[in-house]
Amino acid sequence: MNRMPLGMYMPFESVIHSIDARVKLVCFLALIVSVIITDTLVGYIVILSTAFVFIVLSRIPFKIALSCLYRLRFFLIIIFVMNALFFTSENILVSWWIFNISKEGILQGVHVVLRVVLVMLFSTCLTATTSPVELTKALESLFRPLRYVKIPVGQICMIISIAIQFIPVISQEALLIKQAQTARGARFESRRLIEKAKESLALVIPIFLSAIRRADELALAMEARGYRSANTPEKRSLKLSLREYAGFVVSAAVCALQIMI
Amino acid sequence: MTTTKKSVLTAVFIALCVVLPMAFHSIQNAGSIFLPMHIPVLLCGLICGWQYGFITGIVGPVLSSLFTGMPPMAYLPSMIVELSVYGLVTGLMMKFVHTKNLYADLYISLISALITGRIVAGIARALIFARGSYSMAAWATSYFVTGLPGIIIQLAIIPTLIFAIQKARLIPARYTK
Repeated sequence: MNRMPLGMYMPFESVIHSIDARVKLVCFLALIVSVIITDTLVGYIVILSTAFVFIVLSRIPFKIALSCLYRLRFFLIIIFVMNALFFTSENILVSWWIFNISKEGILQGVHVVLRVVLVMLFSTCLTATTSPVELTKALESLFRPLRYVKIPVGQICMIISIAIQFIPVISQEALLIKQAQTARGARFESRRLIEKAKESLALVIPIFLSAIRRADELALAMEARGYRSANTPEKRSLKLSLREYAGFVVSAAVCALQIMI
Repeated sequence: MTTTKKSVLTAVFIALCVVLPMAFHSIQNAGSIFLPMHIPVLLCGLICGWQYGFITGIVGPVLSSLFTGMPPMAYLPSMIVELSVYGLVTGLMMKFVHTKNLYADLYISLISALITGRIVAGIARALIFARGSYSMAAWATSYFVTGLPGIIIQLAIIPTLIFAIQKARLIPARYTK
Protein backbone atom coordinates (compact mmCIF):
# COMPACT_ATOMS: atom_id res chain seq x y z
CA MET A 1 0.00 0.00 0.00
CA ASN A 2 1.13 3.55 -0.77
CA ARG A 3 2.78 5.06 2.30
CA MET A 4 2.57 8.75 3.10
CA PRO A 5 4.91 10.00 5.84
CA LEU A 6 2.87 11.23 8.82
CA GLY A 7 1.91 14.89 8.74
CA MET A 8 3.10 15.38 5.15
CA TYR A 9 1.64 18.30 3.19
CA MET A 10 0.28 17.42 -0.26
CA PRO A 11 0.23 20.53 -2.48
CA PHE A 12 -2.93 19.94 -4.59
CA GLU A 13 -5.46 22.54 -5.68
CA SER A 14 -8.72 21.90 -3.90
CA VAL A 15 -11.49 23.64 -1.99
CA ILE A 16 -10.09 22.42 1.35
CA HIS A 17 -6.57 23.58 0.44
CA SER A 18 -7.81 27.10 -0.26
CA ILE A 19 -9.65 27.54 3.08
CA ASP A 20 -7.87 29.78 5.63
CA ALA A 21 -5.73 27.65 7.99
CA ARG A 22 -7.26 29.33 11.08
CA VAL A 23 -10.74 28.32 9.97
CA LYS A 24 -9.49 24.78 9.27
CA LEU A 25 -7.97 24.55 12.75
CA VAL A 26 -11.17 25.71 14.48
CA CYS A 27 -13.28 23.32 12.36
CA PHE A 28 -10.83 20.50 13.10
CA LEU A 29 -11.19 21.09 16.86
CA ALA A 30 -15.00 21.13 16.56
CA LEU A 31 -14.91 17.82 14.66
CA ILE A 32 -12.58 16.24 17.24
CA VAL A 33 -15.02 17.31 19.98
CA SER A 34 -17.80 15.65 17.93
CA VAL A 35 -15.77 12.43 17.72
CA ILE A 36 -15.23 12.45 21.49
CA ILE A 37 -18.86 13.03 22.44
CA THR A 38 -20.55 10.75 19.94
CA ASP A 39 -21.63 7.25 21.01
CA THR A 40 -24.48 6.36 18.65
CA LEU A 41 -24.50 4.61 15.27
CA VAL A 42 -26.14 7.62 13.61
CA GLY A 43 -23.48 9.88 15.11
CA TYR A 44 -20.65 7.75 13.74
CA ILE A 45 -22.30 7.57 10.29
CA VAL A 46 -22.61 11.38 10.20
CA ILE A 47 -18.96 11.92 11.21
CA LEU A 48 -17.66 9.21 8.85
CA SER A 49 -19.65 10.77 5.98
CA THR A 50 -18.19 14.19 6.88
CA ALA A 51 -14.66 12.73 6.85
CA PHE A 52 -15.39 11.04 3.49
CA VAL A 53 -16.68 14.32 1.99
CA PHE A 54 -13.63 16.24 3.30
CA ILE A 55 -11.22 13.68 1.81
CA VAL A 56 -13.02 13.81 -1.56
CA LEU A 57 -13.05 17.64 -1.53
CA SER A 58 -9.36 17.80 -0.56
CA ARG A 59 -8.45 15.47 -3.49
CA ILE A 60 -6.21 13.32 -1.31
CA PRO A 61 -6.12 9.83 -2.91
CA PHE A 62 -8.04 7.38 -0.68
CA LYS A 63 -5.19 4.89 -0.86
CA ILE A 64 -2.87 7.45 0.72
CA ALA A 65 -5.40 8.61 3.33
CA LEU A 66 -6.03 5.01 4.36
CA SER A 67 -2.31 4.15 4.49
CA CYS A 68 -2.07 5.99 7.83
CA LEU A 69 -4.74 3.65 9.21
CA TYR A 70 -3.09 0.60 7.64
CA ARG A 71 0.08 1.42 9.56
CA LEU A 72 -1.92 1.31 12.81
CA ARG A 73 -3.73 -1.94 11.96
CA PHE A 74 -2.08 -4.01 14.74
CA PHE A 75 -2.70 -1.28 17.33
CA LEU A 76 -6.37 -1.09 16.26
CA ILE A 77 -6.76 -4.88 16.41
CA ILE A 78 -5.10 -5.01 19.86
CA ILE A 79 -7.33 -2.29 21.37
CA PHE A 80 -10.42 -3.97 19.92
CA VAL A 81 -9.44 -7.40 21.26
CA MET A 82 -8.47 -5.99 24.70
CA ASN A 83 -11.85 -4.29 25.03
CA ALA A 84 -13.76 -7.29 23.70
CA LEU A 85 -12.02 -9.81 25.99
CA PHE A 86 -11.62 -7.91 29.25
CA PHE A 87 -14.69 -5.64 29.47
CA THR A 88 -16.61 -6.38 32.67
CA SER A 89 -20.27 -6.91 31.97
CA GLU A 90 -23.22 -8.94 33.26
CA ASN A 91 -24.24 -10.22 29.80
CA ILE A 92 -21.32 -12.52 29.03
CA LEU A 93 -21.63 -14.42 25.74
CA VAL A 94 -18.56 -16.65 26.03
CA SER A 95 -16.33 -17.14 29.07
CA TRP A 96 -13.00 -18.99 29.20
CA TRP A 97 -10.24 -18.69 31.83
CA ILE A 98 -9.71 -14.91 32.35
CA PHE A 99 -11.41 -13.96 29.08
CA ASN A 100 -15.02 -12.82 28.96
CA ILE A 101 -16.58 -11.92 25.65
CA SER A 102 -19.68 -9.76 26.01
CA LYS A 103 -21.83 -7.69 23.67
CA GLU A 104 -20.92 -4.53 25.61
CA GLY A 105 -17.20 -5.36 25.36
CA ILE A 106 -17.40 -5.81 21.59
CA LEU A 107 -19.34 -2.53 21.28
CA GLN A 108 -16.78 -0.74 23.48
CA GLY A 109 -13.98 -2.08 21.25
CA VAL A 110 -15.79 -0.83 18.13
CA HIS A 111 -16.29 2.61 19.77
CA VAL A 112 -12.59 3.00 20.63
CA VAL A 113 -11.41 1.81 17.20
CA LEU A 114 -13.86 4.11 15.39
CA ARG A 115 -12.74 7.11 17.46
CA VAL A 116 -9.06 6.52 16.69
CA VAL A 117 -9.86 6.01 12.97
CA LEU A 118 -11.89 9.22 12.77
CA VAL A 119 -9.28 11.33 14.59
CA MET A 120 -6.63 9.94 12.23
CA LEU A 121 -8.72 10.73 9.14
CA PHE A 122 -9.41 14.31 10.20
CA SER A 123 -5.79 14.96 11.22
CA THR A 124 -4.56 13.53 7.88
CA CYS A 125 -7.01 15.81 6.10
CA LEU A 126 -5.74 18.84 8.08
CA THR A 127 -2.00 18.21 7.71
CA ALA A 128 -2.21 17.11 4.05
CA THR A 129 -4.09 20.26 3.03
CA THR A 130 -2.26 22.82 5.18
CA SER A 131 1.42 23.57 4.81
CA PRO A 132 3.44 23.66 8.07
CA VAL A 133 4.10 27.39 7.54
CA GLU A 134 0.36 28.12 7.21
CA LEU A 135 -0.36 25.93 10.24
CA THR A 136 2.20 27.83 12.34
CA LYS A 137 0.84 31.20 11.26
CA ALA A 138 -2.67 30.02 12.09
CA LEU A 139 -1.56 28.88 15.55
CA GLU A 140 0.28 32.18 16.10
CA SER A 141 -2.79 34.11 15.09
CA LEU A 142 -5.19 32.06 17.26
CA PHE A 143 -2.89 32.21 20.31
CA ARG A 144 -2.15 35.91 19.85
CA PRO A 145 -4.11 36.99 22.97
CA LEU A 146 -1.73 34.89 25.15
CA ARG A 147 1.04 37.42 24.60
CA TYR A 148 -0.71 39.69 27.11
CA VAL A 149 0.22 37.17 29.86
CA LYS A 150 3.87 37.22 28.70
CA ILE A 151 3.74 33.82 26.97
CA PRO A 152 6.22 33.75 24.04
CA VAL A 153 3.61 32.72 21.46
CA GLY A 154 5.89 33.31 18.45
CA GLN A 155 8.64 31.09 19.82
CA ILE A 156 6.24 28.30 20.86
CA CYS A 157 4.60 28.31 17.41
CA MET A 158 8.02 28.19 15.75
CA ILE A 159 8.86 25.14 17.91
CA ILE A 160 5.57 23.41 16.98
CA SER A 161 6.10 24.19 13.28
CA ILE A 162 9.65 22.74 13.27
CA ALA A 163 8.39 19.71 15.24
CA ILE A 164 5.66 19.03 12.64
CA GLN A 165 8.21 19.29 9.83
CA PHE A 166 10.60 16.97 11.66
CA ILE A 167 8.03 14.17 12.21
CA PRO A 168 8.19 12.64 8.67
CA VAL A 169 11.98 13.09 8.51
CA ILE A 170 12.70 11.42 11.87
CA SER A 171 10.05 8.78 11.19
CA GLN A 172 11.82 7.71 7.97
CA GLU A 173 15.17 7.76 9.71
CA ALA A 174 13.87 5.63 12.61
CA LEU A 175 12.61 3.07 10.11
CA LEU A 176 16.00 2.98 8.39
CA ILE A 177 17.84 2.60 11.71
CA LYS A 178 15.51 -0.22 12.74
CA GLN A 179 16.08 -2.04 9.45
CA ALA A 180 19.84 -1.53 9.73
CA GLN A 181 19.92 -2.87 13.30
CA THR A 182 17.77 -5.86 12.29
CA ALA A 183 20.23 -6.55 9.46
CA ARG A 184 23.04 -6.45 12.05
CA GLY A 185 21.25 -9.14 14.05
CA ALA A 186 19.13 -7.18 16.56
CA ARG A 187 16.22 -9.32 17.78
CA PHE A 188 13.42 -6.87 18.66
CA GLU A 189 10.86 -9.68 18.86
CA SER A 190 12.60 -11.50 21.72
CA ARG A 191 10.31 -12.49 24.58
CA ARG A 192 12.91 -11.96 27.29
CA LEU A 193 12.69 -8.52 28.89
CA ILE A 194 16.46 -8.07 29.37
CA GLU A 195 17.18 -9.03 25.76
CA LYS A 196 14.38 -6.77 24.58
CA ALA A 197 15.79 -3.87 26.64
CA LYS A 198 19.29 -4.39 25.22
CA GLU A 199 18.00 -4.46 21.65
CA SER A 200 15.84 -1.39 22.20
CA LEU A 201 18.90 0.50 23.38
CA ALA A 202 20.38 -0.19 19.95
CA LEU A 203 17.33 1.49 18.47
CA VAL A 204 16.91 4.44 20.85
CA ILE A 205 20.48 5.78 21.00
CA PRO A 206 21.04 6.08 17.21
CA ILE A 207 17.57 7.65 16.74
CA PHE A 208 18.30 10.29 19.40
CA LEU A 209 21.83 11.00 18.23
CA SER A 210 20.79 11.41 14.61
CA ALA A 211 17.80 13.62 15.54
CA ILE A 212 19.91 15.83 17.81
CA ARG A 213 22.61 16.11 15.13
CA ARG A 214 19.94 17.35 12.70
CA ALA A 215 18.73 19.87 15.31
CA ASP A 216 22.28 21.08 15.81
CA GLU A 217 22.76 21.62 12.06
CA LEU A 218 19.43 23.42 11.71
CA ALA A 219 20.12 25.71 14.69
CA LEU A 220 23.54 26.54 13.28
CA ALA A 221 22.04 27.33 9.85
CA MET A 222 19.33 29.51 11.44
CA GLU A 223 21.84 31.45 13.53
CA ALA A 224 24.18 31.86 10.54
CA ARG A 225 21.29 33.50 8.68
CA GLY A 226 20.68 35.87 11.57
CA TYR A 227 17.53 34.27 13.01
CA ARG A 228 16.25 35.85 16.21
CA SER A 229 13.22 34.33 17.97
CA ALA A 230 10.10 36.36 17.25
CA ASN A 231 8.01 36.75 20.36
CA THR A 232 5.34 38.99 18.90
CA PRO A 233 3.16 37.23 16.35
CA GLU A 234 2.11 39.33 13.38
CA LYS A 235 -1.47 40.50 13.22
CA ARG A 236 -3.33 39.02 10.27
CA SER A 237 -6.81 40.09 9.27
CA LEU A 238 -9.29 37.31 8.54
CA LYS A 239 -11.46 37.75 5.45
CA LEU A 240 -14.11 35.08 5.35
CA SER A 241 -15.38 33.85 1.98
CA LEU A 242 -18.18 31.42 1.21
CA ARG A 243 -15.80 28.44 1.64
CA GLU A 244 -14.81 29.47 5.16
CA TYR A 245 -18.46 30.04 6.15
CA ALA A 246 -19.39 26.64 4.70
CA GLY A 247 -16.57 25.02 6.72
CA PHE A 248 -17.77 26.67 9.94
CA VAL A 249 -21.40 25.73 9.31
CA VAL A 250 -20.65 22.06 8.50
CA SER A 251 -18.36 21.59 11.54
CA ALA A 252 -20.74 23.41 13.89
CA ALA A 253 -23.69 21.41 12.53
CA VAL A 254 -21.89 18.07 13.01
CA CYS A 255 -20.89 19.09 16.55
CA ALA A 256 -24.40 20.30 17.42
CA LEU A 257 -25.92 17.10 16.02
CA GLN A 258 -23.69 14.97 18.25
CA ILE A 259 -24.77 16.97 21.31
CA MET A 260 -28.46 16.59 20.42
CA ILE A 261 -28.43 12.86 19.53
CA MET B 1 23.36 27.04 24.67
CA THR B 2 21.58 29.69 22.56
CA THR B 3 17.80 30.20 22.63
CA THR B 4 17.59 29.18 18.95
CA LYS B 5 19.37 25.88 19.60
CA LYS B 6 17.19 25.20 22.64
CA SER B 7 14.05 25.90 20.56
CA VAL B 8 15.15 23.61 17.70
CA LEU B 9 16.16 20.86 20.16
CA THR B 10 12.74 21.18 21.83
CA ALA B 11 11.08 20.81 18.41
CA VAL B 12 13.10 17.65 17.77
CA PHE B 13 12.16 16.22 21.17
CA ILE B 14 8.48 16.94 20.43
CA ALA B 15 8.84 15.15 17.06
CA LEU B 16 10.47 12.23 18.90
CA CYS B 17 7.42 12.09 21.22
CA VAL B 18 5.44 11.18 18.08
CA VAL B 19 8.01 8.97 16.30
CA LEU B 20 9.47 6.91 19.19
CA PRO B 21 6.15 5.38 20.36
CA MET B 22 5.45 4.44 16.70
CA ALA B 23 8.84 2.74 16.39
CA PHE B 24 8.18 0.89 19.64
CA HIS B 25 4.60 -0.13 18.99
CA SER B 26 5.71 -2.56 16.30
CA ILE B 27 7.67 -4.40 19.02
CA GLN B 28 5.34 -6.50 21.15
CA ASN B 29 4.33 -4.79 24.47
CA ALA B 30 7.24 -2.34 24.14
CA GLY B 31 4.99 0.73 24.48
CA SER B 32 3.83 -0.14 27.98
CA ILE B 33 7.21 -1.55 29.04
CA PHE B 34 9.55 1.24 27.88
CA LEU B 35 7.15 4.23 28.14
CA PRO B 36 8.86 5.71 25.03
CA MET B 37 7.12 9.09 25.13
CA HIS B 38 8.59 9.83 28.57
CA ILE B 39 12.19 9.67 27.33
CA PRO B 40 12.18 12.76 25.02
CA VAL B 41 10.32 14.84 27.64
CA LEU B 42 12.77 13.95 30.41
CA LEU B 43 15.73 14.57 28.09
CA CYS B 44 14.34 17.94 27.01
CA GLY B 45 13.98 19.08 30.62
CA LEU B 46 17.51 17.89 31.42
CA ILE B 47 19.17 19.43 28.37
CA CYS B 48 17.16 22.56 27.52
CA GLY B 49 15.66 23.63 30.85
CA TRP B 50 12.32 23.69 32.63
CA GLN B 51 10.42 25.99 30.23
CA TYR B 52 11.29 23.84 27.22
CA GLY B 53 10.67 20.58 29.10
CA PHE B 54 7.28 21.89 30.19
CA ILE B 55 6.33 22.80 26.58
CA THR B 56 7.46 19.36 25.33
CA GLY B 57 5.37 17.69 28.03
CA ILE B 58 2.27 19.52 26.81
CA VAL B 59 2.75 19.60 23.03
CA GLY B 60 4.34 16.13 22.61
CA PRO B 61 1.35 14.00 23.70
CA VAL B 62 -1.13 16.36 21.96
CA LEU B 63 0.67 16.07 18.60
CA SER B 64 1.12 12.33 19.04
CA SER B 65 -2.57 11.91 19.76
CA LEU B 66 -3.50 14.00 16.71
CA PHE B 67 -1.08 12.31 14.32
CA THR B 68 -1.23 8.70 15.47
CA GLY B 69 -4.28 8.42 17.74
CA MET B 70 -1.98 7.41 20.64
CA PRO B 71 -2.50 8.14 23.51
CA PRO B 72 -6.31 7.98 23.09
CA MET B 73 -8.13 11.26 23.85
CA ALA B 74 -9.49 9.85 27.13
CA TYR B 75 -5.97 9.41 28.59
CA LEU B 76 -4.56 12.57 27.06
CA PRO B 77 -5.29 15.10 29.88
CA SER B 78 -3.71 13.01 32.66
CA MET B 79 -0.76 12.19 30.42
CA ILE B 80 -0.22 15.89 29.67
CA VAL B 81 -0.18 16.62 33.42
CA GLU B 82 2.30 13.80 34.09
CA LEU B 83 4.67 14.62 31.23
CA SER B 84 4.63 18.39 31.75
CA VAL B 85 5.59 17.87 35.41
CA TYR B 86 8.43 15.58 34.30
CA GLY B 87 9.78 18.25 31.95
CA LEU B 88 9.34 21.01 34.52
CA VAL B 89 10.91 19.17 37.48
CA THR B 90 13.90 17.74 35.57
CA GLY B 91 14.69 21.24 34.26
CA LEU B 92 14.36 22.87 37.69
CA MET B 93 16.42 20.18 39.42
CA MET B 94 19.20 20.45 36.83
CA LYS B 95 19.20 24.20 37.41
CA PHE B 96 19.47 24.01 41.19
CA VAL B 97 21.35 20.74 41.86
CA HIS B 98 25.11 20.91 41.30
CA THR B 99 27.00 18.04 42.93
CA LYS B 100 29.99 18.35 40.56
CA ASN B 101 29.17 14.86 39.29
CA LEU B 102 27.08 14.61 36.12
CA TYR B 103 25.59 11.22 36.91
CA ALA B 104 24.61 12.28 40.46
CA ASP B 105 22.88 15.42 39.09
CA LEU B 106 21.09 13.37 36.45
CA TYR B 107 19.87 10.70 38.84
CA ILE B 108 18.71 13.21 41.47
CA SER B 109 16.79 15.16 38.80
CA LEU B 110 15.34 12.06 37.15
CA ILE B 111 14.19 10.35 40.34
CA SER B 112 12.63 13.56 41.71
CA ALA B 113 10.82 14.15 38.41
CA LEU B 114 9.56 10.57 38.08
CA ILE B 115 8.17 10.62 41.63
CA THR B 116 6.69 14.16 41.47
CA GLY B 117 5.12 13.57 38.04
CA ARG B 118 3.42 10.40 39.18
CA ILE B 119 2.15 12.01 42.39
CA VAL B 120 0.78 15.08 40.57
CA ALA B 121 -0.81 12.95 37.82
CA GLY B 122 -2.38 10.70 40.48
CA ILE B 123 -3.79 13.73 42.33
CA ALA B 124 -5.10 15.18 39.03
CA ARG B 125 -6.80 11.88 38.20
CA ALA B 126 -8.31 11.51 41.66
CA LEU B 127 -9.60 15.09 41.80
CA ILE B 128 -10.39 15.91 38.17
CA PHE B 129 -10.14 13.26 35.45
CA ALA B 130 -11.46 10.16 37.26
CA ARG B 131 -13.21 11.71 40.26
CA GLY B 132 -14.82 9.16 42.54
CA SER B 133 -13.55 6.12 40.65
CA TYR B 134 -9.86 6.29 41.51
CA SER B 135 -8.15 4.63 44.45
CA MET B 136 -4.68 4.56 46.00
CA ALA B 137 -4.29 0.92 44.88
CA ALA B 138 -5.18 1.82 41.27
CA TRP B 139 -2.65 4.68 41.35
CA ALA B 140 0.16 2.51 42.76
CA THR B 141 -0.57 -0.29 40.28
CA SER B 142 -0.81 1.87 37.18
CA TYR B 143 2.13 4.17 37.92
CA PHE B 144 4.60 1.96 39.80
CA VAL B 145 3.84 -1.75 39.27
CA THR B 146 2.91 -1.80 35.55
CA GLY B 147 5.46 0.85 34.67
CA LEU B 148 8.31 -0.52 36.84
CA PRO B 149 10.31 -1.98 33.91
CA GLY B 150 9.84 1.37 32.15
CA ILE B 151 11.16 3.30 35.16
CA ILE B 152 14.24 1.05 35.43
CA ILE B 153 14.92 1.29 31.71
CA GLN B 154 14.52 5.09 31.72
CA LEU B 155 16.99 5.37 34.60
CA ALA B 156 19.44 3.25 32.62
CA ILE B 157 18.92 4.81 29.16
CA ILE B 158 18.68 8.55 29.89
CA PRO B 159 22.07 9.13 31.62
CA THR B 160 23.70 6.96 28.90
CA LEU B 161 22.04 9.08 26.23
CA ILE B 162 23.10 12.38 27.84
CA PHE B 163 26.65 11.06 28.11
CA ALA B 164 26.62 9.97 24.43
CA ILE B 165 25.21 13.36 23.32
CA GLN B 166 27.86 15.22 25.35
CA LYS B 167 30.60 12.97 23.99
CA ALA B 168 29.42 13.69 20.44
CA ARG B 169 29.75 17.42 21.38
CA LEU B 170 26.15 18.12 20.41
CA ILE B 171 25.51 19.86 23.74
CA PRO B 172 27.98 21.73 25.96
CA ALA B 173 29.56 19.74 28.81
CA ARG B 174 28.00 20.42 32.23
CA TYR B 175 31.32 20.13 34.08
CA THR B 176 34.67 20.73 32.43
CA LYS B 177 37.62 18.74 33.80
